[in-house]
Amino acid sequence: MTVTSNNLKDNAKLFGDIFTEAIKLELANYDHKTILMDLKKKFEPGKLTPLLTGQVSIKAAVNQYLTGNGLQDTIEDKTGIYKHREWRGPVDTLYDYVKWLELWGILGKWLLKHPVTNVSALLRYRWMAAYLTTPSFFDHNVPGFRGTMLRAGRMNLNTIAKLLTANMEDIFSADLNINPENENAKKYICIDAYMPKLITAGFSEHQGILAHLVPHYLPSIINHHLPEHYLDVTESYGVPADVCGLPSMESGVAIEDDFPKIGCCYISTNMPCDGSIMSSSILDRRFQLPTYVLNTPMRHTREDTQEYAIEELKECIKFMEKHTGETYDYNLLREACERWNEQNALRLEKWEMNATDTPPHYGASNWMYRIFTYQDACGSQVAIKNDRKVNKVMRKSLGKLRKYPQQTRHRAVVWNTVANMYSALDEWLLNCWGIEAVFEFIEHQGHRPIDTATVDSMLAGVAKVIQEATMRVHSKGGYNAYTDDLWLLVEQYDCDMIVMFDQISCKGPAAITGLLEEEARRRGIKMVWLKQDLVDARTISRRDMRDQINKYMEAVMNETPLDPTLRDFDDGESW
Amino acid sequence: MKDLKHIHYFTALLEDANNELVRAAKKDGGIAVGYTCYYIPEALLNVGNAFSVRLRAPKTGSLDISQYYMGSMNCSYVRALLERAFEGGYHFLDAFFSSETCQQMNRLVENIYELKLIDNGTFYHSIIDAPLKISPHGIKHYTNQIRTHFLEPLRDQFGIDISETALRNAVAEHNRMCAIFEEISELRKADNPGITATEFHILNLVSYSCPTGLILPYLEETLVELKKRKLDPKIPYRARVVVVGSEMDDYGFTELIEYCGAYVVADRYCFGSMPGRQQIPINDDEDIVEVVCRFYLETNQCPRFMSQEKVQERRDVVKALYDEYNADGIIYEQMKFCDYWGYERAVASFVLHEEMGIPTVALDREYTVQASGQLRTRVQAFVESLEIKKIQKAKNQNEGEKK
Ligand code: SF4
Ligand code: SF4
Repeated sequence: MTVTSNNLKDNAKLFGDIFTEAIKLELANYDHKTILMDLKKKFEPGKLTPLLTGQVSIKAAVNQYLTGNGLQDTIEDKTGIYKHREWRGPVDTLYDYVKWLELWGILGKWLLKHPVTNVSALLRYRWMAAYLTTPSFFDHNVPGFRGTMLRAGRMNLNTIAKLLTANMEDIFSADLNINPENENAKKYICIDAYMPKLITAGFSEHQGILAHLVPHYLPSIINHHLPEHYLDVTESYGVPADVCGLPSMESGVAIEDDFPKIGCCYISTNMPCDGSIMSSSILDRRFQLPTYVLNTPMRHTREDTQEYAIEELKECIKFMEKHTGETYDYNLLREACERWNEQNALRLEKWEMNATDTPPHYGASNWMYRIFTYQDACGSQVAIKNDRKVNKVMRKSLGKLRKYPQQTRHRAVVWNTVANMYSALDEWLLNCWGIEAVFEFIEHQGHRPIDTATVDSMLAGVAKVIQEATMRVHSKGGYNAYTDDLWLLVEQYDCDMIVMFDQISCKGPAAITGLLEEEARRRGIKMVWLKQDLVDARTISRRDMRDQINKYMEAVMNETPLDPTLRDFDDGESW
Repeated sequence: MKDLKHIHYFTALLEDANNELVRAAKKDGGIAVGYTCYYIPEALLNVGNAFSVRLRAPKTGSLDISQYYMGSMNCSYVRALLERAFEGGYHFLDAFFSSETCQQMNRLVENIYELKLIDNGTFYHSIIDAPLKISPHGIKHYTNQIRTHFLEPLRDQFGIDISETALRNAVAEHNRMCAIFEEISELRKADNPGITATEFHILNLVSYSCPTGLILPYLEETLVELKKRKLDPKIPYRARVVVVGSEMDDYGFTELIEYCGAYVVADRYCFGSMPGRQQIPINDDEDIVEVVCRFYLETNQCPRFMSQEKVQERRDVVKALYDEYNADGIIYEQMKFCDYWGYERAVASFVLHEEMGIPTVALDREYTVQASGQLRTRVQAFVESLEIKKIQKAKNQNEGEKK
């Protein structure tokens, strides 16, 4: 027997039915007692229980608890919808469930605060639909998790939800597409999402908004089919299909006029790569805002480029001052940089903890959090508070027997850019094959503290944070910037394996395939290449990706899956 | 028209990167500097006994080895260069100067260096950081990069005189060559031009692929010959086109266009003459390196320049060529897997066609184009459409006059 509780579709229907019925009864002027009694009569209590308990059949629960296996059995084929909540033992199930309810609380609070605006946004923007699936998406990113990993994962995810909903609130409250008379629009400085928002920290009356984060970057991760529409739009505009899907998708969002209309000016950038440089010419045409192109050096690892980087930053600040009419306050920037430094130190501590025998820091809930907090919530109090809590939980777990994962076979570095269309790949690697991704490339970005002693040293530090932002290392700065640390990390983290993404349309890493291959061979490191197309699941599906790993593990490593239900399944119709 | 005296010699020079004139310069103790991009100021590379060679990979065949090293989704120009490097085609190079203009070119240089594909003990390579917008501090940065990564190493490693006088001499020689091209280019404006598009392409290519000092006498002689050339009475084309796009060093492409009945009046592509073959205005007051660097940055038409005014300028430049050279249409060509030109050709051809009303076609192609039937069909169809438009226009005009 399976009982639905986390099945979004069924849940929504059930909630809806109860809600409608309750309203009907209330409209008929019944008192609360009568309403409850009537509801009890109408809705079978057995059906309502799982909403509260997240319970599954006892037999299935015991089996899953004892073996930790059968994870895919909890999920519907094709759609990927959970048939029931995952049983993780009493304590962890309860924890998971409370966090899940907390998430609904965060979403509900956001939704009800400005219901009209939010519904307008939902109707105006195609990508908004992706966010409706957030609770289920989060569940998919902690499958099998228990103990510390579950706690850290859930805390990070819910913090993302908090920050994201605050972000959306800002965006929609200022969006001229939703409210053409909006006076708030000018309070924001639009920034290219591949540039950390830290640069706007010196303003008190104006706030930076990462233009792409909410409309395209996050939706491409949450719903892996959403990019397809926008990719097609860009292609029909004449851009070739072989360019990277990420800038191509953002171009599609621009061509469809699906970017919120907001801001007093726009800070565009050449980050991270050639494709994204070019997509900005499409974006500029749509934004129609005064624009400053912040030119970050390509050879960002070289000292002789830093003077230029700092000069560019200074010019950018002047430009923002001109368009906001506000003077940049370096004391505010200093405070933000100091918070950023704390975030960074906590991050580095996590790295250290992952180098131990019991790495507690894992997977999508972490790398997504890292991207979000590096680019958007850099210097955010909410994020720091969460980091402190997460690190505390992790610290406690060090050296102790882990509840999860109970069994691992390999420690791996996962290198090159993650596939947005398959966020939970690390989780699958661990649950299916026991490959523990102890170091995830996308987290490996700028991690130098900012020297806040003087304005100049601070600007130099901020310039570095910008230059080393997400996806910069593998695309620019010379191939050593991308590869040197890889070999070091393999040693530091005691790894016996590299899972190497081959993002087929990302030209920079692809063009050193041979050098990487030869170096891995020379060092005797097992490296599995994993082809992916970033945001386009039509070229290489999640199932195709799993198949590549399966073949490698079976043919080269001669191993069998830890959880056979995960070896091959169809999730082609899922979000 | 009668064949140009040196045309067969020129085509022979294009058969090999290490051609007869390169070998001659090397024999004379010349220092061969390879490069591939407009960001590398050619005018400064021909200083002292250094000479520049813009790299090509003629007669490219299979790209299997480079595919293994660079994957199959990188542009075939860089793959062809890597393949040729594996075959030992660039051992003559003493230096390779590059810029991180695009990821693919950057990786090519890294591969060549790391795989030690140039069998030359003193081989030097460097990759500069090149800005993608124009600003006073950007020009300063770029100039500094050129000086410290290219010029000073030429002096320190190869003993080349990079004094102000030596550099001014190099620029003067470069300007002499450009003056020739400016004159030849004027011929292309005529209804019945005294030079075929393919000939122009060949002349332009040899000027990039050979030491300036050695090719100059041949070009001077050719100019004299062109001025006196007897024209065919019949206009040899059905339409006039401007070609814009990514790296193009295969004159077979121009041949193909001519075969389809169109005349290339202006070549606004990497390795073309616009920009590239215009004299650099110099003065006696400013530092020559600074003047030259500013010129290269300001005239650069690479799509990676992303500020709004540069984006607009690119369209304006193409439109101006279309007007000035009395063209009927524009061909945007893009090397497959080139991100820059992939976007540029889509956006610019959209703007020029939809917003400016100029007939435009966008094509993608591989490094070598001659054998491409598909390309031929598309060019043919475009030329026919231009011809029909011209006939229609003339008819409308006639009818208008009658009324
Ligand atoms: S994956 Fe590569 S090509 Fe795509 S946006 Fe990132 S750096 Fe650019
Ligand atoms: S054609 Fe494009 S990808 Fe190839 S080298 Fe030129 S700019 Fe780079």
